[in-house]
Amino acid sequence: MDLVLISAAPFVLALALALPAVQGKLSKATQTLVSSLVMAALFVWLLSFLPRVQGQGAIVQTFEWAPSLGISLSFYLDGLSLLFGLIITGVGALIFFYAGYYFDAPAEYNRFMIWLSGFAGAMLSVVLSGNLLLMFVAWELTSVTSFVLIGFKGADDAEARAGAFKALFVTGGGALALIIGIIMLSVAAGQILYPDEGTRIAADLTDILRATSLAQHDWYTLFAILIMLGGFTKSAQFPFHFWLPGAMSAPTPASAYLHSATMVKAGIYLFARLSPVMYQNELWSSTLLTTGLLTMLVGAYFAVKQRDLKALLAYSTVSKLGAIVAMLGLPGQIGIKAALVGIIAHALYKSALFLVAGTIDHATGTRFIDKLGGLRQRMPAMFAVTVISALSMAGMPFLLGFVAKEVLLDAMLHYEGRWTALVMLVVLFSTAFTAMAAYMLIYDVFLKKPRQSIHFHQPPSLIRLGPLILSLLSLTLGFLLEPLIVPLLAPAVPKSFELHLFAGFNEVFFLSLGVLLAGFALFVVRKPLIARIGFPLSCDMIYDEMLEYIGWAGRSVLHTQSGFVRYYLVIILGAVSLVLIASGTLSTVTAGQSFIPRDLSLTITDLAKIFMLILTVTAGMLTVVVREHVKAAIAYGVIGYAIGVIFLIEHAPDVALVQLLVETMATVLIIIMLGRIRTRTRLNVIQSLWTGRHGYNLGLVRDLVISVTIGGAVFIFSLIALQSRPEQQSVAQWHLENARVVDTEDVVGAIVADFRGTDTLLEIAVFTTAALGVLTLLARGRQSGSAFVPRTAQVSSLHEFDEDVVDEIQDATSLSTPFTRTVSYIVLPIAILIGIEQILYGGIGPGDGFTAGVTIGLAISLWYIVLGYDEAKRQLPWFRPEIITRLGLVIAIVNAAIPILLGKGFMGHVQYDKVLGIYELVGAFGLHITSSLIFEIAIAITVMGGLGIIMEAIAYPAARSNGRRHSAEAVEATS
Amino acid sequence: MIEFMFALAIGILFGIGVFQLLRRDLIKAAIGFAILFSAINLFFVAVGAFEGDFAPYVSNVEAGRSTSDPLIQALILTAIVVSFGSFSLVLGFVNIISRRYDTVDSNDINKLKH
Repeated sequence: MDLVLISAAPFVLALALALPAVQGKLSKATQTLVSSLVMAALFVWLLSFLPRVQGQGAIVQTFEWAPSLGISLSFYLDGLSLLFGLIITGVGALIFFYAGYYFDAPAEYNRFMIWLSGFAGAMLSVVLSGNLLLMFVAWELTSVTSFVLIGFKGADDAEARAGAFKALFVTGGGALALIIGIIMLSVAAGQILYPDEGTRIAADLTDILRATSLAQHDWYTLFAILIMLGGFTKSAQFPFHFWLPGAMSAPTPASAYLHSATMVKAGIYLFARLSPVMYQNELWSSTLLTTGLLTMLVGAYFAVKQRDLKALLAYSTVSKLGAIVAMLGLPGQIGIKAALVGIIAHALYKSALFLVAGTIDHATGTRFIDKLGGLRQRMPAMFAVTVISALSMAGMPFLLGFVAKEVLLDAMLHYEGRWTALVMLVVLFSTAFTAMAAYMLIYDVFLKKPRQSIHFHQPPSLIRLGPLILSLLSLTLGFLLEPLIVPLLAPAVPKSFELHLFAGFNEVFFLSLGVLLAGFALFVVRKPLIARIGFPLSCDMIYDEMLEYIGWAGRSVLHTQSGFVRYYLVIILGAVSLVLIASGTLSTVTAGQSFIPRDLSLTITDLAKIFMLILTVTAGMLTVVVREHVKAAIAYGVIGYAIGVIFLIEHAPDVALVQLLVETMATVLIIIMLGRIRTRTRLNVIQSLWTGRHGYNLGLVRDLVISVTIGGAVFIFSLIALQSRPEQQSVAQWHLENARVVDTEDVVGAIVADFRGTDTLLEIAVFTTAALGVLTLLARGRQSGSAFVPRTAQVSSLHEFDEDVVDEIQDATSLSTPFTRTVSYIVLPIAILIGIEQILYGGIGPGDGFTAGVTIGLAISLWYIVLGYDEAKRQLPWFRPEIITRLGLVIAIVNAAIPILLGKGFMGHVQYDKVLGIYELVGAFGLHITSSLIFEIAIAITVMGGLGIIMEAIAYPAARSNGRRHSAEAVEATS
Repeated sequence: MIEFMFALAIGILFGIGVFQLLRRDLIKAAIGFAILFSAINLFFVAVGAFEGDFAPYVSNVEAGRSTSDPLIQALILTAIVVSFGSFSLVLGFVNIISRRYDTVDSNDINKLKH
């Protein structure tokens, strides 16, 4: 449980910071203090695990999640994860504190901290997760949060956007390889550990670390390469390193935290984590070693050329990451100790240096080395921090960085393979350049005289705290190796080991000193040297080129997109028809089926049904052939009513009632909507509907062929379905027999409100969502007044066209006669009464919450039509559809939840009248107060509210909002 | 025989709905959309309601009469309301398109890809 809490805590912090209450109420200083204290507390909490980790090894906490997929919510804490966890929380606490003084605007700070805390949570989850698939999820989360943080200033900084995209593109692409690698690895581990269980995904770390023969597995080459790809992209290894300098557009606290101390070490964590089962293969070690050394060289070499402080630090980070990867690749795991010491040392000095860069940026407004200089007097604290941290980076005795370099050189000296001399040369060369970069940081920024006067304002004094503590650690930890560092590393390193601040005047020591001196020599000749550094081809260029091609490919595909939605439908349905006909599916299905009805006998009811079906089909044809939209809408209404009658004949009175009401509503809705569309607009489409371009209408033929094919297929499908229907009713039998239990006469009502109540609950939620969709669509145009869909040229309404019935609705006054007013006044109370009756006695006869809601909704829509929007709004002040809908849904959910308290489960059936002891009393009125009754009420309220929302949105006079304004604009434009 | 008639009607209605969707007129396409819903509801009731000669009421069941299938009816009942919701959403789209583009001809609207 503890580990879950630890990795969840930063997420909770992020959510808390996102609360409007926190944003408004708490000052920036308070937020800063709280968030860094949270991280500090997590640091202490993690530290308290140290004795247990030392004693018993890994702590594992597992919650089953999807065992069949091998995914578990599993947490794993051993020496390695503890080390990373401590860096994440410890450095995190200092950087969180720093960020509070780095940002001046509270809102900006708050937005930044939400994402930074989210990142901290994701990163902690990466190192604490005990399941590779879970780790992958967290891994991706770090990429996403990193994307947002790099692009933090993206709203007005194209470079930040490009950098963020580049980082996501590279790390995300690597993650694709990684997930495949992880799955293959897990399956391989499953084969090794559970040979008898078929395909089993063993993604838990406990399993994988037991599968020691993974290095001999057949798939090893494939999954090792995929996993290494994932790690290389994340940890900015050559040739993927270029995203890291690009990521420097992030605010400096994020660069310090994500892009030097934590996230870029995720790949290293992955390698170290899997090293025990992977290292025995030559492929693993040689790839890691080669890539690491190359990265180390490239990073160190190009670092000194950078003029931007942060870019310099980024390249030197790349170099150090390469060194660590190379250490992990040394055969026989001899480099693990050096890698881990390197990780600690680097996290401390590099984040301190980044924070210095941020502070300088904050104080002077620039990060360019050429513009800077002489900051020693103005920023003495920053100068001290830089001296300590940069020298630690260079490996000056007796700082922590010195220890790191000593063990690195020592491990390299122990490397016995081919090319040992070359390897050593690369390492010495890179470390010399790193030392040179360190001297440049100290001299060029703080000591040398600036070329021009620079703007300077003193940053807040507390901004110094984080960097000072970090550099103090770099300074002192070297002397505290035995008491602090060794116990921390001991559980993470496979063999017993020692660490010495000063191991004597051995060859490592002299090499180390030599590198420092060589670095100084390079520093002295830096001006001519830097001018020569360069390479005609950079990975950035290749990346840009590649992006160009991807863009080109995308645009080429886009050419096939006409933008006409109708043609997409033609292609989709046309393809379906083609497949149906060409593949012979139709003939296969129909084989052995007779299409000529064998039994030609018809009863009287059958004749009635057939009459109604003919009516339906005829009306359907009419909707196609009539020219006027109003007539088509009315024909559509006929279809609805005819189907309603069929429902009635088919002994489905409830369905028939709902169908009749809803179809009325739908027809009314179409006609109202027609009134919102200008006559001219509709006439245009009617006129062009049947005319082809070349005298004949090829499109018409095409549409006819497609729809006849689809209709034919549906006909065959439904005929087969109807003919091979099972004789007996299926589950329905049970419902019929048990409806009495819930005190309902109407079995359909019992199913809707009780047996399948959860379905209904979801259905009314869907209905409400649809209603809200209508509201959003139409209200947006209404309030903002600005087009959110681009507008083409507007044609103002002209009078030369014939007007039709719909114009009546466009102007509500023509409908508002004394008679219609009286009717609508009378209808509403009656409708409400009918609604109440249907709810209360819906159990006995047809009707239920749905019909009640639709009935009342219909009466209200009559008001909107007859009285017009404004008048109806004024006269029905209590009718606030948004609130009514909310009320209905809340009642429904509360009513569904109460049975849980009574031990009957979600949506359980409760007889409240029996619970309250009034069963006899209300029973005398033929009533049963049950949870289904309350649910019916909730359904009615929700449906009524939803209809109200739709009605209001559609009946809102368009002419008053955009229509008229646009026409006015158009008139202005034309005149 | 009646099965055949039902299947024929469903097929024709479906064809009409598809045809309307494929044509240029967005208002008629909306109507076609609604006709598709009707066809599907009709199919369900045709599949389910045949068995009995009486409405699915408890008293009918207890009297031993064969009733129509209540489960399918319950499903159609909610489906009708939900399909009305999506139909009104379609109408909302048509409405806003007519306001923005001043047309209901889908051939005049190809800006959606940008």
